Amino acid sequence: MKVQRALRFVCRGALLATLALGVFAGSFTHYSYVHQFRDIPNAAPSSSHWLGTDALGRDLFTRLVYGTRVSLLLAPAAALIASIIAAILGAIAGLRGGWLEKIILASADLSMSLPLLFVLIALRSILPLDVSPILSVIATFLALGLIGWPASLRVVWAASRDLRDSDHILLAQALGYRRSQILFRQVLPCLRPVFLAQFWISIPLFILTEATLSMLGLGVMEPLPSWGNLLRGCEDLSANPWRLVPLVVLVLTVISFQFIFPGSEELA
Amino acid sequence: MTHGILKFAQRLLLLAALAIVGALICATIVRFAPGFGVDEHELDSRLSASSRDAIRNQLQLGNGLLSYYGSYISGLVHGNLGTSAFLERPVAGLLKERAPFTARTVLLGWIIAWAAASFLSLLTLRWQTWQLEFSATAATGILIALPTAVVALLCLYLRAPIFLGIAVITLPKLFRYQHNILAQVHTQPFVLAARARGVSPARILFRHVLPVAWPPLLALLGVSTSLALGAAIPLEALSDSPGVGQLAWQAALNRDLPLLTSITLFVTLVTAGVNLFSGTLRARCP
Repeated sequence: MKVQRALRFVCRGALLATLALGVFAGSFTHYSYVHQFRDIPNAAPSSSHWLGTDALGRDLFTRLVYGTRVSLLLAPAAALIASIIAAILGAIAGLRGGWLEKIILASADLSMSLPLLFVLIALRSILPLDVSPILSVIATFLALGLIGWPASLRVVWAASRDLRDSDHILLAQALGYRRSQILFRQVLPCLRPVFLAQFWISIPLFILTEATLSMLGLGVMEPLPSWGNLLRGCEDLSANPWRLVPLVVLVLTVISFQFIFPGSEELA
Repeated sequence: MTHGILKFAQRLLLLAALAIVGALICATIVRFAPGFGVDEHELDSRLSASSRDAIRNQLQLGNGLLSYYGSYISGLVHGNLGTSAFLERPVAGLLKERAPFTARTVLLGWIIAWAAASFLSLLTLRWQTWQLEFSATAATGILIALPTAVVALLCLYLRAPIFLGIAVITLPKLFRYQHNILAQVHTQPFVLAARARGVSPARILFRHVLPVAWPPLLALLGVSTSLALGAAIPLEALSDSPGVGQLAWQAALNRDLPLLTSITLFVTLVTAGVNLFSGTLRARCP
């Protein structure tokens, strides 16, 4: 138990440090992530370029810290969208029951049976490939948020179904509260722990999906950096092993997300 | 018996409804995507107005939305999935050509993932030591934390076959699901009673835990198929393998929406078919 607590503490610290790296990116580096040092492409790590430079001569450490900002700030935004959709639809399904519940659950099951990557690629390809980098970031994470809700919905629905027959909801109904009042004032506040758990679970999933999409050239567009498009540098790994650093940061972040919550044994 | 047939018919009906809804969504995406119906030949100044009209008629631009949906679905019914704008070949032919390769690799990867995940889950449950539990959790935790495309790249470096990559991507999630289901059943009072009576751990596992855990384990058939099919895209794309995953990636890069939506529809129907199969099997479980 002590080991688990210590591990959780370390993971939370690591996540906070990574987040700080992204938020205060400008304080850690004085280069711009688009600036090209044309005379030193593919440079090895040095005191002036801590992680060396890429094929275009851009400072890799700078791109990593700004990429951290993109991946680590926008993945939670996408997770928030997905969790809000799941919370509202799940609460409505659980509270109302009947045909509405069946339709919502059937659509969630349908969405869950689709391989996420196929749908994301189909949605992303509606946009032109030469779309501006900012728009590509918004489109990628918005698509993740709009598609990633079904798994969370099932959990929220199960929790809200249990609430449906609880005393305080029956009392609210007896007092003549409207359905919307019951939903927003009684049910959704009770679902807050479930909502938060689903929110935290979705973040690493979205970070990984963005990384795969960007590695395939269908996610965040250059010159904007993200962990995903930095991983494209892994393709010439044998010559530049330091290109693995973004992958190490990504893996450690995703692992940290797995450990930041207390286990069920500890909660008991 | 009649109830079982009714249930199966209900599920088949759901699959048919899913196919229709999927087809309509695909048609809508193609119809409303920017650049729909734009033909570069229209820019040819040598063409007369009637020739340009003929091109537009060929692309069904003058028709309403409903007739567009009608012709799309009627094409699907007759096996006509349209023509790939990028490869300039019928989509049905391309799928027929590429599907066997993907089916083979996905099936092999899926079988290996199931075998490895089941072995690991049973091992950790049979010998419940913290070292074994920690090793299995740590190994699968690291594999889960790797983006699918990175696993694909590693496979390329190590010259590993694609099906092995699919197995590596599917295994950690499958193991977690299986392990959770089995561990949950393992804490039930009847298992405790069996242990108190001195029944051997292996007998408890195979005679008491597995039969109860069987129905939720069957539900994982669909989930694991979806995971394995999703893994096929980066693996086939990065290793330049002639499968449906690579075709989807090429279609996305070239904005070939008729091809991409047909592939998505095809994959959805495969996954839904596996879900139907696992649902039917679960319904037959006592």
